[in-house]
Amino acid sequence: MTISGRLRTFIIIGLLPALLIYSVFVLIPIFWSAYYGFFSWKGIGASTFIGFDNYAEALRDPIFWRALKNNLIIVVASIGGQLPIALVLSLILRKSTLFQRFVRSAVFMPMVVASVVIGMIWGYIYHPQIGILNFILDTVGLESWIRDWLGDPGINMYSVSVPVIWANIGPYLILFISAIQNISSEIEDAAKIDGAVGGKWLYLIVIPMIWDTIKVAIVLCISGSLKAFDLIFVMTGGGPAQSTELLATYMYNNTFEVFRYGYGSAVSTLIIVISMILVLGSQLLMRRK
Amino acid sequence: MKITTDGGLALDADRAPLSRFLKPKWSWIGNVLLLVYALLTLYPLVWLFISSFKTNQEFFGKPFALPTTWNFDNYKRAWEIADLGTAFVNSVIVTVSSIVLTLFLGTLTAYILSRLEFRFKGVLMSLFVIGMLIPIHSTLVPLFIMMNKIGILDTYASLILPYAAFELPVAIFVVAAYLTSVPKDLEEAAMIDGNGYWGTFFRIIMPLAVPAMATVFILGFLRFWNDFAFALVFINDQSLKTLPLSLSIFSDGYGTDYSLTTAAMAIAVIPTIIVYLIFQEQIMKGMVAGSVKG
Repeated sequence: MTISGRLRTFIIIGLLPALLIYSVFVLIPIFWSAYYGFFSWKGIGASTFIGFDNYAEALRDPIFWRALKNNLIIVVASIGGQLPIALVLSLILRKSTLFQRFVRSAVFMPMVVASVVIGMIWGYIYHPQIGILNFILDTVGLESWIRDWLGDPGINMYSVSVPVIWANIGPYLILFISAIQNISSEIEDAAKIDGAVGGKWLYLIVIPMIWDTIKVAIVLCISGSLKAFDLIFVMTGGGPAQSTELLATYMYNNTFEVFRYGYGSAVSTLIIVISMILVLGSQLLMRRK
Repeated sequence: MKITTDGGLALDADRAPLSRFLKPKWSWIGNVLLLVYALLTLYPLVWLFISSFKTNQEFFGKPFALPTTWNFDNYKRAWEIADLGTAFVNSVIVTVSSIVLTLFLGTLTAYILSRLEFRFKGVLMSLFVIGMLIPIHSTLVPLFIMMNKIGILDTYASLILPYAAFELPVAIFVVAAYLTSVPKDLEEAAMIDGNGYWGTFFRIIMPLAVPAMATVFILGFLRFWNDFAFALVFINDQSLKTLPLSLSIFSDGYGTDYSLTTAAMAIAVIPTIIVYLIFQEQIMKGMVAGSVKG
């Protein structure tokens, strides 16, 4: 065999297993779910072709739109909560002292804890009778602030957003720290000489110079918050009465609990489309600035 | 060039960052606030561990106090009742297998895509990027249907294969980025020495890629060990449940036995926290690198 022939064989055989697994378990399901969306199927027996009925039903279901709205609440809460906190912290936590290492470590730790556990912990914290949140409020005399944090449809989405923010600041902190380190030292020195301190330094120097990183962080934040499932599923299951339903829990509750696999497929496809739109949309928006 | 003193984070470059915002004699306020923030962030986890040693009455009555006696009994009961031993073993089996698969295929693919030239390189790279953007729960239904048809639902394979598949893009990017810093001459030298492509890969490239592989190992460990969604949907058999799945079912069934449940949660969380404390720097950098490279 010629050398390029051997190279070709190596490349093909080398890439084959990875591509195979990846295509079968990641790529094909995307299209498969779109295809299955056109059918009605209970999981056993035959499936019936029903055209766009599943898609139409999903798009007409007010709970679907509620779920989408809830997802957007989480996206906004994530961007508005995780990124500013990470940015502020990154400005300060840039030394390698023991204290600073401790703080960075503490902020990052929730990232490695299973989201199931996080959901359960916060479920306990928010418990109306025995949760420590209401306990604290009671003790300091703020009884009027006591609520059913997870049960009250008016506020439970916001309650649920708190652990989402709490758990996910870590990577953005590290990301911003690296980005700020990359601001060349000449600019730093020039800024110091010009007397740029505090707020001025932040707005005029730091933010413009790490703007690219901020853009990346926003995209990551959006795609990350759209993946929220475990946490909320364990805390509320999407309830009560679908008030904390997310697209993912909506999909789960309408597929596996009720055996409507065609419908679930359609919803899954819609979720993929919506995610793509949000991510691409945010990319375009950022480009103009 | 910044001198990197802390594994690439170039810390200490700004000697007194707080002084940019506060006059030096007030900067201690900033540090106090930081400390408060750090402790608040840690508190839910601390609360978990403290609670896991309490009895149920102590849990209800004095949620903040330290337990009067440290009841290791809770841990023993949780281990037995929730059959955490089995869950632990299952998690280990699934996690280790997935990591091995991901590491091998990921490194091989990263090597080919980053060091060899051929026509469809760009297309394949983009293909792997797409995988990182999809919310993985939207593949739950089609994967469920497909694995049902093939008949691998409710087996270890039903978790190992999707886990590895979804982690491949991250693995490839991390290793590929690292491999770009390996000089080309090494391969040429290896070839001249009579190694084929496979020989070069196994004897030269893989040993060199170990640091990147370590990062992938850690990222994969955290992701597979903590996964809930796939286990929830693909596993039904009690004897195959992984830890996160066991925990969630356990808490449903033993809803009001908080001392038991918190002990179970603590058991599940301890391995990841230990791994985290040992490999902190690597985990932090790895998670950032893994998500940004795409």
